[in-house]
Amino acid sequence: MEMKVEFTDFSLIQALRSDANPDEAIRYLYRTQFRMTAAYIKQNSGTEEDAEDIFQEVVLVFIEILKKDKFRGESSISTFLYALTRNIWLNELNKRGKSRLRDEKFEKGKGTTDMDVSHLIADREVKSQLMDIVDKLGETCKKILMAFYFENRAIKEILLNLNYENEQVVRNKKYKCLKQLEQMITGQPNLAKNLKSIL
Amino acid sequence: MNENSTHTELLIQYLDGELQGEDLNKVRKIIEENASAREELENLRLAKEASKIYGMKTRIGSLHAEMMQELKTPQTGITRKIFQYSLRIAAVIIVLFGLSELYQYITATPEKLFSENYRAFDLHQTRGSSTTSLEDLYEKGDMADLIQEYNQLKSPQAKDCFLAGDAYLNTHRPDMAIEAYTRMEQINKTNNTHFFEEDAEYFLALGYLANNEPKKALPLFEKIHADPGHPYHTAVSTWFIIKVKKSVNRP
Repeated sequence: MEMKVEFTDFSLIQALRSDANPDEAIRYLYRTQFRMTAAYIKQNSGTEEDAEDIFQEVVLVFIEILKKDKFRGESSISTFLYALTRNIWLNELNKRGKSRLRDEKFEKGKGTTDMDVSHLIADREVKSQLMDIVDKLGETCKKILMAFYFENRAIKEILLNLNYENEQVVRNKKYKCLKQLEQMITGQPNLAKNLKSIL
Repeated sequence: MNENSTHTELLIQYLDGELQGEDLNKVRKIIEENASAREELENLRLAKEASKIYGMKTRIGSLHAEMMQELKTPQTGITRKIFQYSLRIAAVIIVLFGLSELYQYITATPEKLFSENYRAFDLHQTRGSSTTSLEDLYEKGDMADLIQEYNQLKSPQAKDCFLAGDAYLNTHRPDMAIEAYTRMEQINKTNNTHFFEEDAEYFLALGYLANNEPKKALPLFEKIHADPGHPYHTAVSTWFIIKVKKSVNRP
């Protein structure tokens, strides 16, 4: 029978902040927080699909905040995620030109929490562009870079998964891939400039 | 390899924390003295961070699909839970029923089997327009008077014997009940009639149980059990036969 892992706020933060596999912690976030997010989005002009998209962003932003030690722990994770959801969704409504609706909703919901997380999600558009750039890398490059930098796998492990001749070949490939990505980013000077301030 | 690409390789190794000793000092010097190297290092750092974010985004995306499947089928989950609880409850009921039946089997005695299965005969089923005084007394439940009147009859009919038999069972005199039913069978045999024949079989068998003679009761019950057309067939289950057999073998 499948075991569902339970977390306290503390253990959840530890699990998402560390470089270890975050899968169970992310699953836990979905089980405990998604319905609240979906209810909020749907009550505020959104659809189920919007809720799914926004929640993915909320989880991503939350993990980034944790990794940068920007979560002060002054509120519960649930309250913090609610505030993140609200900010990201209002930002999205703004993008869609529903500013009047956004203002009304924002004012109405402002008293819910005094936490200001708006600055944490202001770089949303910039990151979205960055993801589009990475997406254009070849599949092998994406695999190598993600395995090395996100999954923290050793070159030896990557070699086993990708069937290269030896570790040096993988090393060279990784070098070329990272350089290629760097050039793709610097190929868009405005984006590179904005990224430097947020990453 | 030209100088720039050599720099790049060293910068990446520096970024990945793979340098030490002389190589590390060499890169630090390059970064300090060379503005373009510093710029390149910063851009490589962006690329590295982008890879990490992309990795996390991809991971969340793949977990998202999995979790939506789990979260969007709450009814199935609830149904599965209800089903699991129902199974558990059913299992408990079956175990309790089994224990109860086991207890009944272990404690089965002829007297107990009799008292659990004896029900007074329903005379309404067979009563005609004209009634005898025994029938009237039976209807009133006046078993003592019925027995007294029966004993005064010089030539009782089969029906009189049957009613007397039931009155004796009712008043806890099974030996006399057996006698009355046997007498009834004899009358039927003599007259070549079949009045209350099948009813008498069942009640005679019960009489044997009440009289602590399960060995005599068993063939009668087995006959009833083997005959699906017998009016008392459903009253004699396999489990009942097993319990009668158990009472036969009881020390």
